[in-house]
Amino acid sequence: MKNYYSLLISDWNAVIEKTLPNYSIYAPLKENDSLDYELIDLENLSNISYNIPKPTTPLKTFFLPIKENLTTELKSEKKRIIIGSPNCDIQGLKILDEIYLDKDFVDTSYQNKRENTLLIGTACYETLEHCHCMSYGIRPFSMETADISLSKVDTRIHLEVLSEKGEQFISEIKEYSAISNSPESEIKDIELKQSKIENEIIANNTGLPDYKKTGEIVQKAKDEIWNKYSSKCVSCGACATICPTCTCFLLIDKPNFEKVRQLDACQYPGFERVAGNEDALHELSIRFRNRYFCKYVWKPQKFKSLACTGCGRCIEACIGKINKNELFRELAN
Amino acid sequence: MSNKTNIYKPIKAKLLDVITESPTIKTFIMEPEEEFSFKTGEFIELTVDGIGEAPFTPSSSPLETKQIEVTVMKTGYVTQYLHEMKPGETLGIRGPFGRGYPVEKFYDKEVLILGGGCGFAPIRSLLYNLEAISDKLRKVTLCYGSKTPDECIYQPYVDQLRNTPKFEVLRTVDEPNESWSESVGVATVLLDKVKVDIKNSIAVCCGPPIMMKFGTFKLLEMGYPENDIFLSMEKNMSCGLGKCGHCMMGKYFVCKEGPVFTYDEIKDQPDIWS
Repeated sequence: MKNYYSLLISDWNAVIEKTLPNYSIYAPLKENDSLDYELIDLENLSNISYNIPKPTTPLKTFFLPIKENLTTELKSEKKRIIIGSPNCDIQGLKILDEIYLDKDFVDTSYQNKRENTLLIGTACYETLEHCHCMSYGIRPFSMETADISLSKVDTRIHLEVLSEKGEQFISEIKEYSAISNSPESEIKDIELKQSKIENEIIANNTGLPDYKKTGEIVQKAKDEIWNKYSSKCVSCGACATICPTCTCFLLIDKPNFEKVRQLDACQYPGFERVAGNEDALHELSIRFRNRYFCKYVWKPQKFKSLACTGCGRCIEACIGKINKNELFRELAN
Repeated sequence: MSNKTNIYKPIKAKLLDVITESPTIKTFIMEPEEEFSFKTGEFIELTVDGIGEAPFTPSSSPLETKQIEVTVMKTGYVTQYLHEMKPGETLGIRGPFGRGYPVEKFYDKEVLILGGGCGFAPIRSLLYNLEAISDKLRKVTLCYGSKTPDECIYQPYVDQLRNTPKFEVLRTVDEPNESWSESVGVATVLLDKVKVDIKNSIAVCCGPPIMMKFGTFKLLEMGYPENDIFLSMEKNMSCGLGKCGHCMMGKYFVCKEGPVFTYDEIKDQPDIWS
């Protein structure tokens, strides 16, 4: 039997309230049409949105801020709880872990943030137009990597424990909250919801090639394809900024040998330029192609984790309305 | 490396001396404030305080641990500031990074080295290393090309090598002057002049991309197997840690899996010559 616990929403809100002094808690709040992570306080905690698809900001920015001084002393930060991350984002953390926790060179800033964070994912009960996690073998609910998976059913919150850290958190809240094992019937309800949304995502993405196939397509694609799809690209880098798995960065020097990391993107001109002005990615269409090779050919040859989790944010964010799935559909047939 | 080491923080190094090698190339001799050593072919990230950081493969002997030298051509933003620096000033060093030359694979072999321009810098470090183990090597031949005689660097070291048993140096320039008595033409012309037992030999190539490209093709034509040609690749190695992504060459982070590769390892990757 799965390790599920449940409590009333009012009790869950009381848990958050009690936890607030000791943790910085972030969760998605809906405002008009936008949904994004906000710092939770006593005022807004009852407005947290559960079980809805991805917040605007990818989860990675909690661990790789846009800009960060890497050489100043690490501050002992308040522990964090992040609630409401969809599985596409959580799966995106795996490749970040491979890169930043690489045992040869552990990035202590990233490591501290990872260790300092309790990750409570939520299962998606809805899907957005460009969600396509299932095409890449990612299910729309957390099964690992997160510490707890949260599902709201009617008036109750269900918490499935996925890690030791998650177990520890449940033991803490058990001390003061009316939390009990979820009844089998409610677990079935959750599983039904999950299965329904899985089928919906599959149906919405008929004809979209799987992750392995995308790699083959990218390798076979001719210049005309890259020219065609990049013709609307303005090198704004939004696709990379918003991507849960794009992690490239610039190291900026400051006086006293300080180093500041700023997230970068291979879509910006000059990304690979070296002294003397040699620049393999000088042409826009080649930069554009580079991102596809990176995500679907090179990173899969190098890492165990996926370099695209099918969140669809790059499609939503593109001001040129470039849709990578149209490219893959065109070439899959 | 311990988990709590800050991988981005440079150690300080005092600039002891600056040697002008050519109108555009200088060698910077530094003394790191903390223990620092490297294997030949590995590189360092050198910080000019508050200005920027750039990757250089040391040109000094890996057996010398008190001091470290880098030979730098003035060609970009950081190197322009570096060339203005004076002895007594402080630089920052991170590293060493990457995979250097596998010298143990050179044992019992002839080593043919093709170098061009400032590519002599990492090669000099390799040569120092090979000198120290010359009893284990058959022969070392350096073929070095540069644009003009003025730009031929390390003249005293070339003279010394020419008097070292088992070592041979051939040089060429694109634009000779009246006093130039050696070869004329691009570096690869020297490969027609060397006598080498290819079956018992390995080749090393380091220099500007165009020379690396045609040098490699020439070495293949001469009969070198693809996995006996060692190339020192140059990309925008920025973090040195296999993280920032700027030096990606197909599936490789040049900073971590390179900068030294066999041709066999990289021949199918994109943009290897640019």
